[in-house]
Amino acid sequence: MSQEIIDIVQNYLTPNIPITLVSQGAEAVVFTTHVHPYLPQDSNKTGETKYIIKYRPHKKYRHPVIDQQLTKKRTLGESRLLAKLYQIDGLKVPKLIACDQYNGCIWLEFLGSQLPDNNGFSNLKHFLWWNKADPYNNVVKESLLKVGQQIGILHWNDYVHGDLTSSNIVMVQDKLGVNVWNPHLIDFGLGGVSNMVEDKGVDLYVLERAIISTHSAFSDQYVEWIMQGFSQVYEQHGATGEKKLKELLKRFHEVRMRGRKRTMIG
Amino acid sequence: MIQTTIPQFPDFTLKISLFKDVINSAEIRSKIADYPFAFIDAKTICSVEQLMAALYRVFIEKNYNRIRTKSLTSECLLCLAPTSNIGEAFRRFGLKDDTKEVICVQIIPTEDLPLDEVDISSLIDGFEVDMNDEHLKQFCDKNIIREIYKFDASFQPNSIEEVTRAVVSAIQLRGM
Ligand SMILES: Nc1ncnc2c1ncn2[C@@H]1O[C@H](COP(=O)(O)O)[C@@H](O)[C@H]1O
Repeated sequence: MSQEIIDIVQNYLTPNIPITLVSQGAEAVVFTTHVHPYLPQDSNKTGETKYIIKYRPHKKYRHPVIDQQLTKKRTLGESRLLAKLYQIDGLKVPKLIACDQYNGCIWLEFLGSQLPDNNGFSNLKHFLWWNKADPYNNVVKESLLKVGQQIGILHWNDYVHGDLTSSNIVMVQDKLGVNVWNPHLIDFGLGGVSNMVEDKGVDLYVLERAIISTHSAFSDQYVEWIMQGFSQVYEQHGATGEKKLKELLKRFHEVRMRGRKRTMIG
Repeated sequence: MIQTTIPQFPDFTLKISLFKDVINSAEIRSKIADYPFAFIDAKTICSVEQLMAALYRVFIEKNYNRIRTKSLTSECLLCLAPTSNIGEAFRRFGLKDDTKEVICVQIIPTEDLPLDEVDISSLIDGFEVDMNDEHLKQFCDKNIIREIYKFDASFQPNSIEEVTRAVVSAIQLRGM
């Protein structure tokens, strides 16, 4: 199954674009490549810069016409959202490079890097693990404040992520400082526009659950820092911001309570 | 001049040249249909990336038989545009009688490349300069680009890179 999809994508892209499989989810297959889809190859740069290719395979169990419409809708939905989000001041998301709506293929800027000493790809989950010997160090604190700010900016602008796990937050090392990490949000396949506190509360709850499940010993402090960064964004917007923040925090609390009850029962 | 191919579509080769101080735009316009080129007003293009993003889209459209204008070169102008209004795309991105900086795109089947003898500089009365970001940045008009691509008032790009990002998205998402 997996090899079949790789062959389809490789065939579509031609041998001129060698690809490496990164992840195969229910919805999309993700590859990396070193070849830009259309910029003339700059001989100095070749081999350095990576790009993400995200492909939504056809689902055989769906009617072909419906399948094509769904593929088109989701590919476009994610691309359109990324394009909008990119224009929001301060928000960090991957750049949209190309979009083939007919074939369900989008090209994105590759973000992040391998952490030192085989600590894995620099998503938030691995980043926190990498720091577990000194879990409350200043770099972790600053980074988590910034994670909170990113979510704050997203929510303040009435967008939600829809699947905000610690794998969907990528830490990008700042060009100017080895100890400075800038969190970027990725995978907006389930994201969208929403002004509902419920959707925002669920985003926060999903992230909290992710952190509790992988970093339980430190999760209280981690979530506190994230919420501190989150709140700062709202507090910058005066009384309106404070009011919205209060409503949101209240709902986050309720979502959390509901979640607890559910896990206690079953 | 840049000569390049798009990796996914190696059957075609692109030749892209840039001219300044052009004095015969009106003449070129009157014969535009006879030439196998796309002539583009460089005021509307801020980077190589913007132009190449549109050319990539031309080939995607061709791949799925969705070309909406009469040739690949005229499709370049449509593919630069943020909307699917062909007349408007031609008007915005095409030459005006007084255009001074001109981008010229030729799309040649790669197998015919050795036979290509068209000398673009004989058609254009102006000075050819390197087709690169530095020159495009100098020739482009950010206000015109802002207007064509209808940027949100809140979007205030700080650099050409940011303008490029916004226009590349618009090009990739047209009609969707
Ligand atoms: N822009 C990106 N930069 C780096 N890695 C990415 C990017 N987009 C997706 N990935 C990787 O691919 C996986 C699946 O992507 P997605 O289907 O978008 O969640 C992610 O967990 C990342 O490891």
